[in-house]
Amino acid sequence: MKLLTHNMLTSHVKGVTKGYPLLIKATEVKVNEVEFNPQFISRMIPKLEWSAFIQAAEGLGHLQNLPSTVVPEFENNEDFLRDVHKVLLEVEVIEGCLQCPESGREFPISRGVPNMLLNEDES
Amino acid sequence: MEDAACQLERDHVHNVYEKIAPFFNDNRYKAWPKVRKFLLEQEPGSIVADVGCGNGKYLHINENVFKLGCDICRPLVESAWNQGHEVQLCDSLRLPYRDGCFDAILSIAVIHHFSTKERRIRAIKEMARTLRMGGRMMIYVWAMEQKRRKFEKQDIFVPWNPNLPCCPNCDQTLSRYRAQGEGLQGDGTDKHRKVKSTSSMLDREESPVSTQPRMQRLWFFSRSLDSVLDFGSPTVSRPSSQELNAKCPPAEERDGNGARSVSWGRGGNFIQQVSSLFSSRSSLEEDIFGSVTDLCAGLSPKKKSNDGSAMTQSVSLVQECSSMPLPDLVSYQKDIQLEESEIAGNQCQESIHPQQKLEDGTGCVETCCESEGSERFMRYYHVFRHGELTELIENNIEELHVMQTCLDHANWCVVAEKVKACINKPF
Repeated sequence: MKLLTHNMLTSHVKGVTKGYPLLIKATEVKVNEVEFNPQFISRMIPKLEWSAFIQAAEGLGHLQNLPSTVVPEFENNEDFLRDVHKVLLEVEVIEGCLQCPESGREFPISRGVPNMLLNEDES
Repeated sequence: MEDAACQLERDHVHNVYEKIAPFFNDNRYKAWPKVRKFLLEQEPGSIVADVGCGNGKYLHINENVFKLGCDICRPLVESAWNQGHEVQLCDSLRLPYRDGCFDAILSIAVIHHFSTKERRIRAIKEMARTLRMGGRMMIYVWAMEQKRRKFEKQDIFVPWNPNLPCCPNCDQTLSRYRAQGEGLQGDGTDKHRKVKSTSSMLDREESPVSTQPRMQRLWFFSRSLDSVLDFGSPTVSRPSSQELNAKCPPAEERDGNGARSVSWGRGGNFIQQVSSLFSSRSSLEEDIFGSVTDLCAGLSPKKKSNDGSAMTQSVSLVQECSSMPLPDLVSYQKDIQLEESEIAGNQCQESIHPQQKLEDGTGCVETCCESEGSERFMRYYHVFRHGELTELIENNIEELHVMQTCLDHANWCVVAEKVKACINKPF
């Protein structure tokens, strides 16, 4: 699971109103090289919940140089875009779980795949 | 109603795909051109979700957009992961994504697996929730009407036989690197897909037409769960898959001539009856489930006897069914007609079970039901009438507006845009 994916994921347990962002508890993390596409990253940034992204990166120990708020005119700031690219696309959680901030319910991540299936009583 | 619907889908969608998942790998069919076009039209930096992605057949298209896929079938999802895609396990009625986070959504051959209208609406509403304003979704479902003829009923069961020989040309493996973007040159992966259409025909739904004996392409009619349960039947209860795959109907009688007939005296579980009908030689009639409905309504069960008129009907019905290609294979018929006649002849000979007879309608049913050593997996489909999907969306989902509809090779393709914020939460 990449952090870009994580940024979209939310807890959808019945009754939960604040299921986002999910807290990452990782037991295995990998870093792969991914081709850098500045336009792609530049367009992706406005779609992110930035604070959730930073929080997740920090939790994984991959905060690196990322600022707590998006820098102005980031479109032309290649260094910034590269930093974002690394954390957004190259860091992957292979094993661990995602925890709902409200209910504490844990969704397992196994072999890179988060299992977001709910039990009958949760849906 | 909800329980019965869940149970039906569990037995005849989820459990089937779980079992047949291992047979999907490596044999991939061409992406529907319209779906490919839809993906290629998305702006760079878009986020696209494929809800019900299966083994990820669409997730490689357009490296300039971020795609994620989800499916309820673990082996298929893992297969997609192994090909380098971002995927999650989830139920499409409860998507684990925040509101409005996707620029575009695909729903290819998914909605037709929901067994009630209400669930189909809920599934589309859930996708609409995760779509941003102005974003578009593309939905593909099997069409009831097809070029040459149509399905007689809308709710059907389609068998899948894992023991059919695989297409000999299917040697291409789409192995992808884990790192996203690596190894792709634009639509370079499409090069892998420019193979003979026989090999590219394989879909998660069916084996290729060319190697499949025609008798195997049957489906069985059903009543919509919506209409069956309208009778207020208390008899719909948990079916078992063992019964479904049983070769013999649970309660079987033989008349004086040794012909089999099916007794309905088993307490009338709808899905159990479906299974016993599949196993029965004698009862393949046009409106076969009319009797099921009667039973549900508490009327006395009819016994099907093996008389001549029923047989004539069943023979013609089966022959009719077996010559009609299923929606996901239709597009490639033209390409492979020549090959089919060449290959099918040989393949049919090899794979014919001693009991099988092409001409004999009864034989066809027997073949399907009793092929040696093979389990039959019946998948449930609700096939859509002309305009049904559009109507479903326009009448029930305010957030969406239908932009385009077309019949694409026996599938209804609908593109809908998010025009309004979601008002009602689905839960």
